[in-house]
Amino acid sequence: MQAPNPIEEILARLMPPALSQSRQFEIEEMIDELAGPDATTHAPLPSPWWRSRMLIGSGIAAALATLCAFIPSKSNTPIAQTTHNLSPISSSEMVLISESDRIESMTDEGWQDEADGSAMHALRVNAVGQNSLRDEESGMVVQISELREELLLTPISAF
Amino acid sequence: MNCPASSWKHWLAENGPRLLLFARGWSNSRQDAEDLVQEAILRMWHHQADKGATPPDLPLVFSTIRFCGLNHHRSESRRRKREESVIYLNDFQDVWLDPVLEEDEEAVILRHAVQQLSQKLREVVVMKFWGGLTFLQISETLAISPNTAASRYRYALEQLAQELRRMKEDRHASA
Repeated sequence: MQAPNPIEEILARLMPPALSQSRQFEIEEMIDELAGPDATTHAPLPSPWWRSRMLIGSGIAAALATLCAFIPSKSNTPIAQTTHNLSPISSSEMVLISESDRIESMTDEGWQDEADGSAMHALRVNAVGQNSLRDEESGMVVQISELREELLLTPISAF
Repeated sequence: MNCPASSWKHWLAENGPRLLLFARGWSNSRQDAEDLVQEAILRMWHHQADKGATPPDLPLVFSTIRFCGLNHHRSESRRRKREESVIYLNDFQDVWLDPVLEEDEEAVILRHAVQQLSQKLREVVVMKFWGGLTFLQISETLAISPNTAASRYRYALEQLAQELRRMKEDRHASA
């Protein structure tokens, strides 16, 4: 049986402190809000993000109109036409219920050399940004997801 | 049947301290570390939503804290020097670990030494020793090989031992 490392014996006499009381309370409140009735009564479409393009009811069209309002365009005309065609449904009837950002995968890309001779550790991250919108009139909830890929570079300072 | 909120709160009570310790290595202050923990828990809640809403496994949470810490590092690096000077004046009692016994000189020395380890070594020590992760889990969290994780841990212990010897010699010399 391996003898315990003397350093580990000393480390065992150190304990990480707890979260501050205020933060503990704040996080517990956050959990209650996430798990509360408002977070559980809406019924997200049980489908991958690409199915939200199916035109089912005015809720989908309104969600697309809202999304189009955030898409930058070099010309005002296409956006103006879109909102004009959907004029009976204004974006104010769509309520943002929740938005989230989750990591799907992280891949170590190894080291990358920079032009100034320094080395950077590269980490490729695939993430999904997801917004849930509820049509106040129909009660329908739409989830819109955006896939993105990021490359995080961290300077390498030591082994 | 336990509701999700209740399970998560129990999980938080049990794991909050080790998550805070890990987050402290990715932040400039205790407050920032608590922000990272909260952000990670929020991300984990949404991640676990379609997995039974159960509390997440620790390796994934450590990985998420690291990801959030990297993001904060990129966006706030220009303010860091100014913030560090403020922290030095106002937060000199910002320690990451508490000794179980009062007046435990060796523990206090090692506490400082742990905080001074390089991030790569400190991450492994925190996850292994206080996080309870295996080298395999650590390797998956950090996207390194298990052998590299084990090597960093051994090297970290050697550095801590060296620092402890040096500090003891300095104190005896000045006594």
